[in-house]
Amino acid sequence: MELKAVKDAADHVTKKQKLCSSKCQEAIEQIGQEIEQALLKLQSTDASTSYPDHKAILADLKTKLKDMANVSQLESSQKELNGPLSKYPKQLEKSFNPDISKAYRNVDFDIHTINEIIASHLYREGLFEVGDCFANEAGEEEATALKSPFIEMYHIHQAMKSRDLEPALKWASANCEKLKQSGSDLELKLHRLQYVEILQNQGRDEALKYARTFLSPFASSHMAEIQKLMACLLWAGKLDASPYSDLLAPINWEKLGDEFTRQFCNLLGQSFESPLGVSVAAGVEGLPTLLKLMNVMMGKKQEWQSMKQLPVPIELDKEFQFHTIFVCPVSRDQATEENPPMLMSCGHVLCKQSITKLSKSSTKTFKCPYCPTEIEATHCRRLFF
Amino acid sequence: MEIDPLPNGNTATENAAARPASDAVASLAAAAKAAAPALKVSHLSDSLKLEHQFLRVPFEHYKKTIRANHRSVEKEVSAVISAVDSSSSSDFSRDDAVSHLSSLVSRLQGLKRKLEEGSRVENLQAQRCRARLDHLESADADNLSEWSNTRLKRILVDYMLRMSYYESAAKLAETSNIQDLVDIDVFHEARRVIEALQNKEVAPALAWCADNRSRLKKSKSKFEFQLRLQEFVELVRADNNMRAILYARKYLAPWGAIHMKELQRVLATLAFKSGTECATYKVLFEVKQWDNLVDLFKQEFYRLYGMTLEPLLNIYLQAGLSALKTPFCYEDDCPKDDPLSQESFRKLAASLPFSKQQHSKLVCYITKELMDTENPPMVLPNGYVYSTKALEEMARRNNGKITCPRTGVVCNYSDLAKAYIS
Repeated sequence: MELKAVKDAADHVTKKQKLCSSKCQEAIEQIGQEIEQALLKLQSTDASTSYPDHKAILADLKTKLKDMANVSQLESSQKELNGPLSKYPKQLEKSFNPDISKAYRNVDFDIHTINEIIASHLYREGLFEVGDCFANEAGEEEATALKSPFIEMYHIHQAMKSRDLEPALKWASANCEKLKQSGSDLELKLHRLQYVEILQNQGRDEALKYARTFLSPFASSHMAEIQKLMACLLWAGKLDASPYSDLLAPINWEKLGDEFTRQFCNLLGQSFESPLGVSVAAGVEGLPTLLKLMNVMMGKKQEWQSMKQLPVPIELDKEFQFHTIFVCPVSRDQATEENPPMLMSCGHVLCKQSITKLSKSSTKTFKCPYCPTEIEATHCRRLFF
Repeated sequence: MEIDPLPNGNTATENAAARPASDAVASLAAAAKAAAPALKVSHLSDSLKLEHQFLRVPFEHYKKTIRANHRSVEKEVSAVISAVDSSSSSDFSRDDAVSHLSSLVSRLQGLKRKLEEGSRVENLQAQRCRARLDHLESADADNLSEWSNTRLKRILVDYMLRMSYYESAAKLAETSNIQDLVDIDVFHEARRVIEALQNKEVAPALAWCADNRSRLKKSKSKFEFQLRLQEFVELVRADNNMRAILYARKYLAPWGAIHMKELQRVLATLAFKSGTECATYKVLFEVKQWDNLVDLFKQEFYRLYGMTLEPLLNIYLQAGLSALKTPFCYEDDCPKDDPLSQESFRKLAASLPFSKQQHSKLVCYITKELMDTENPPMVLPNGYVYSTKALEEMARRNNGKITCPRTGVVCNYSDLAKAYIS
């Protein structure tokens, strides 16, 4: 984004502001000096001599101050500052979207709901103190219920970061049934990492002992993996030069840390990413389109407030796609149970109703809208995404 | 249904301005589609354009400091000069004149110190404006996730400040080290006024109005008038009728030219008294009038500093939830990663519009990844579709055999057909 114009405007303000305040200082300085001089003169006059009498000195001072250029400059330098001061906001309005609330619908979000969401967001980010403070200030005492599971998660994760797998292993074995149900092999992965650590630091015998106790239960489901780990024993002490050196990569720790968090959240019934973070990020991506839309819809505010569906699509990045949506490229309708997507013999896909129309209710063949193939409606197959 | 045999035929881009809004919407959609490949980059620069408040607020604060400093300097200087003037025309003895001038000298010294302190604050605030510009400039593809994380925290601090959760705001800013990127000090000014209004005191609010008189006048603000009305009502409530009338003469009458109707209505409370059952006047005595004053103050305050009237969090959440909302979000198998799988988010999204989908988006059932040209969809003989990546991986593990995870049907990798989704 081009910020140069904004920066220049800001610099201009600062420059003038500095100039202005140094002018002020000068003026004050000078007034001070004049008065002090007059004061000296006054003090040096002898009370007995009548000249120069103190009235004349004061009058003299008065005219001097009146003529002083600096005082009038005070005003003019301030006037000079006015230009840049009013220019900068204008520049901001030009370079930025001056009002991002234009696309705001006047619906009141339930404060209690938002506060609850924020509290759980703070806890899941590991900001426990801030979370407590927030729950207290916002009067959401029950939100603290979310705290303890996240504290546990945070402690285990912190331990993993300092290469201590014990708490994670303890958690995984306590929850091994649930993990299995959700198809996770987290426990094996933790043991694998621990095994490699032992092999590196404590030698072959300890590693073998560990493998016998902890890896053997996985034999039925992960034979290939275990064979590979056993082969590592041959390279004890020089694993980094072995074909298995990738087991040592530090990235494994990071990845496993993420996976642990994912599984922990999963068992809590939570998503891996903070839902608040995801929603706000989607909002940041979507808002520019909505604001452009509002420019087009100017004067139709009423319509906007009651719309059931946005009139334009908002293109979000991949990470915000959670659902499969099939839109028929011909009719632009979304596929439904009654109007499902159909695969044509050429591999292109349309919705059923479009095929029915194109084939005049299956009475004749038609040309695929995307390629030269002639399509027989009866040969189209329903797809399940 | 109108069938368009060439759905991608795009003739709608020229002379968009001449056509009605609905066509302009269509061309906007076309533009959005064209931008799709460069999505990440254009999203970033578009999203930076939303940061008006982020730059505007510290600037308004800066400007305010400059003006206040200047005003005090001007006042002092002219006071000193007129003091000299008056001394030269009065009948001071020499000693009087000496002590008079020395007091002026020390006054000027005080002013000098004040000015130095003032310009120190000005410079700090200028630096803050600059720091925000630098922060915006620092956003690029490499640090995007960290930068977005900071943005979320800024948005949360903004929310907390507006909701008067000052301690949480300060704590969050401190632990995240983003004090320069949030406007905690600006809200200190608001806090004083709000807390006074909650205690049914109007003095700080009136002082605030006096401080910002010219700008409030420019925006035709009614806030001061409402404060005066409330004070009047309080006098009537206390049965202090004579004072109420005097008060009205002094402070309400000047507003007569613009707000005569409301003025008349409130003056009628003199007749109705606080115990009235007459609905028109009963509301004027209600305690919630004070809450309305707080709300009104907040609006004026936000406007003066160039803030949005709604918390940033609400604005972004609304936009985000609308963009995410599909009918599928409300089904039982909505994946947990979708914020709208959670009851609280569904509640917030209830009165928001659904998103519009113009293009197919296929998420692989197995990997949950988006199927696109790099990872195209493949069709099993039973019509079930999965991503190439998932099926290749499955075939590799199982000697070329594919098992449909939803139906249990087994087939060979070679039996799969490609599907082309546009």
